[in-house]
Amino acid sequence: MKQKRLLALLLTLVMVIGLTACGGGDDEAASGGGEGSGEEASGSNELTVYTAFPEAEVAYYFNAFEEATGIKVNALRLSAGEMLTRVAAEKDNPQAALMFGGSTDNYIAASNQGLLEAYQSPELSNTPENYLDPDGVWNPIYVGAIAFACNRDWFADKGYEYPTSWDELLDPKYENMVIMAHPATSGTAYTVLATLIQLKGEDAVWDYLKELDKNMSQYTKSGSAAPNGVALGEAAIALTFSHDGLQPTVEGYPIELSFPTDGTGYEVGAMALIKGGPADEQENAKKFIDFMCSAEGQNLYAENNSFRVPTNSEATPAEGLVTLDSVAVIDYDAVWAADNKDEFVAQFEANIASSENLE
Amino acid sequence: MANSSGSGGKSAARLKRRNETKMITRQPVMLISIIAVIVLLLLFVVYPLVKVLIFSLTDETGAFSLATAAEIFSTSRYLKTFGRTIVLGLIVAVIATFIGYVFAYAITRTNVPCKGFLKTIATLPILSPPFILCLSIIFLFGRQGLITNTLFGITDNNVYGMGSLIVVQVLSFFPIAYMTLSGILSSIDASVEDAACNMGASRWHTFWTVTFPLSLPGIISGCLLVFIQSLEDFSNPATIGGDFTTLSVEVYQTITGSYDMQKGSVLALLMLVPTMIAYLLNKYWVNKKSFVTVTGKPTQARKLIDEPHIKWPLFIFCMAVAAVIILFYGTVVFGSFVTTWGYNYTLTLDQYGRALQQGWDSLRNSIVLGLVAALIGGLLGMVIAYITAKRDYYGKRFIEVSSVLMFAVPGTVLGIAYILAFNTPPLVLTGTAAILVIVFVFRNMPVAIESGTTTLLQIDNAIEEASTVLGAGSGYSFRRISLPMLRNAFFSGLVYSFVKAITAVSAIIFLVSPRWDLVTSKIYTLFDQAKYSQAAAFVTMMVVVLLVFIGIFNALINLLLAPRSRVPKGAGIHEKTEETT
Repeated sequence: MKQKRLLALLLTLVMVIGLTACGGGDDEAASGGGEGSGEEASGSNELTVYTAFPEAEVAYYFNAFEEATGIKVNALRLSAGEMLTRVAAEKDNPQAALMFGGSTDNYIAASNQGLLEAYQSPELSNTPENYLDPDGVWNPIYVGAIAFACNRDWFADKGYEYPTSWDELLDPKYENMVIMAHPATSGTAYTVLATLIQLKGEDAVWDYLKELDKNMSQYTKSGSAAPNGVALGEAAIALTFSHDGLQPTVEGYPIELSFPTDGTGYEVGAMALIKGGPADEQENAKKFIDFMCSAEGQNLYAENNSFRVPTNSEATPAEGLVTLDSVAVIDYDAVWAADNKDEFVAQFEANIASSENLE
Repeated sequence: MANSSGSGGKSAARLKRRNETKMITRQPVMLISIIAVIVLLLLFVVYPLVKVLIFSLTDETGAFSLATAAEIFSTSRYLKTFGRTIVLGLIVAVIATFIGYVFAYAITRTNVPCKGFLKTIATLPILSPPFILCLSIIFLFGRQGLITNTLFGITDNNVYGMGSLIVVQVLSFFPIAYMTLSGILSSIDASVEDAACNMGASRWHTFWTVTFPLSLPGIISGCLLVFIQSLEDFSNPATIGGDFTTLSVEVYQTITGSYDMQKGSVLALLMLVPTMIAYLLNKYWVNKKSFVTVTGKPTQARKLIDEPHIKWPLFIFCMAVAAVIILFYGTVVFGSFVTTWGYNYTLTLDQYGRALQQGWDSLRNSIVLGLVAALIGGLLGMVIAYITAKRDYYGKRFIEVSSVLMFAVPGTVLGIAYILAFNTPPLVLTGTAAILVIVFVFRNMPVAIESGTTTLLQIDNAIEEASTVLGAGSGYSFRRISLPMLRNAFFSGLVYSFVKAITAVSAIIFLVSPRWDLVTSKIYTLFDQAKYSQAAAFVTMMVVVLLVFIGIFNALINLLLAPRSRVPKGAGIHEKTEETT
């Protein structure tokens, strides 16, 4: 009995020591997390970033950037909506210098809330004007068109061709096999909705969506759940951006893209400085924006299975990747879409996917 | 039997409170504990919640405004979501508590075989992030499901919706009911039931007239805890709910999808209403029926039920639940060894290599912070249970209510509340490990408090009074008398806090930092990128880590807090705890 107690005491001691060690870690982090602490004050060679890019992908850019500049990037991965929420909640004492990735939808909202610091990279000279921020706050870094992400096996099994127009999606043979995210929760789905409104007009669009609703398996909560549902065979066609639709193929899932020939929208991905971010990281943040806007930075898209299309016309897209020239893209108005978001989403909920007419 | 608090009604109660308050001022350890607890609760529970409240009731200019609240109450969609969330919570609470009770009864009262196995099964489901169960259900019963499609050739089974959600939530949350109930059932004095039996009552009669009423506080506590968990659960309804939306998902969607933090906060505060009602019912209705059965008088060890007609049906029921759990978890383990889950079933070990390479740091962070939080939370929980269960004084109600508040706040809002409160001076905590530890402590402590309180309510005051009369200070009495009795409750609290800290999702999304990233946010990301097999590998590793630590906790607590050997065998706590898990 006595020995047992001794053993227990020893184990407790070990735990306590473990805890104390961790406590030390606490303090360290606390001083690092506060407003620009001692050692970093004079020209830090670190950079703190919130990113909406997948972790494996983003590490690739950070490594290349560190190699080129010696600046180490500390990043936290969040979904685009979470990233914006976090930046908004932290606005009195921002913890990161940069928002990196995610659609302009988020950046326009962030800019309207006064969360961003205007900075336009000199590297944007090779970026087409329609991708640029008219207010000059955020920097475009990639584009992607809305596609039909199709489950190859399901189509092969049924002997169907991939759909190539929005109206084909209404075919009863796709009953319960189309999937998209809910526009209220997903920027991707909202872009789909805004595209359809632009294509069909503000009145006719609801008739179309009511028809489409009959084939809809569900409106998922997160944007990525739609292509993942197709990957897992829960649905056959996801309405999503090309790069998101192809993401599951990295894991080996059988997904192929087709594009609507009667016009499709696109998203511009962006990055921007967070207003009032760590002062000693501002220069590094600008360097990183310049890096990602440059052809050199955007050439990386072709190397890491990102499936992203560069915005810099000097950069080379990945081989076999469908760029926007070969797709019937409409003149998508992101600012108009962002400004009317509340109203369109409310209409969508009232007409199509309100919780009352579900179940 | 009753621990009478005076028959004179309100005025007597008030008098008692005043007297006890006076008495406490003369007990320095007690007084300091109470003050310290109140300060901590004010700082880490009340302050952040008040910040959210202010935030949700002011407009952009900072003026008081009820516009958002009015808008929500006039939207039938929100009210319907609210109603459905409650219905779901009630269904899940009843089923989960029933299953938990059967397990607890079979393990503590009967002679069923494989008790160690059943105990493990009854705690296993809280060991992993809940969305993994959702994935299992999709893989087993979805359109391409292994059971629906491969076995039965069904290709159009819609697995999303309320039915699946109930299954997943019941499986995820019945361990909480089990843990609360097994603590209570094993601390009911065996002689009470034996007396009934000896006087000729049938087992059935004994159960309904003795065991069941005595365990009623535990049943209600179990229901309450499960109900609250179901209410604030985010990851399950978000993954498997399909078009069935619950309030916590609505909150998250409103905040991160419509960028409307204010409306989200109001909705979240709405969630507090049913939780508080449930809590108050428990506190002032159930706990009034004070049941004292641990009297300190020596009793003999419990005779376990061995009648086949009782034992085997219970055993079969438990095994059936166990089979479902094993099926679900087996699917996850299997999934961690395949190349592409749901598509390419070639076996491989690559997932583990990649998971360790990418996630070791975050796994270590989770373990370290979880341990710190569990120890602090477990101890603090016992202290709070101790200072609130038996006494009455000014400020007690504040401690009771505020200490469970965090449990009920949806994680998303908790995260935002903490950012609002601790991102600016006087107390800047964002980006540190401390903020995560604090959230874990205050969020998960209520389980420790509940099981501690219910255990303490069954212990006759006379035991501690005897100790005090013999000259022991209140601190000494607590350590030597109550703490050993609280062993099971402390263990449940510790395990629960540790597990919940490591598996938390929505509460930490807004609090993790580049330096302190945690394993669940890594797994969440893997789901996002359809890396299901790698996520499964992570979860399998987590379950192993958790089991190892629970084994260590169990052994440590048995060694440190076991009643002294000179106490005759059979006194105090009767349950023979297996030391191996």
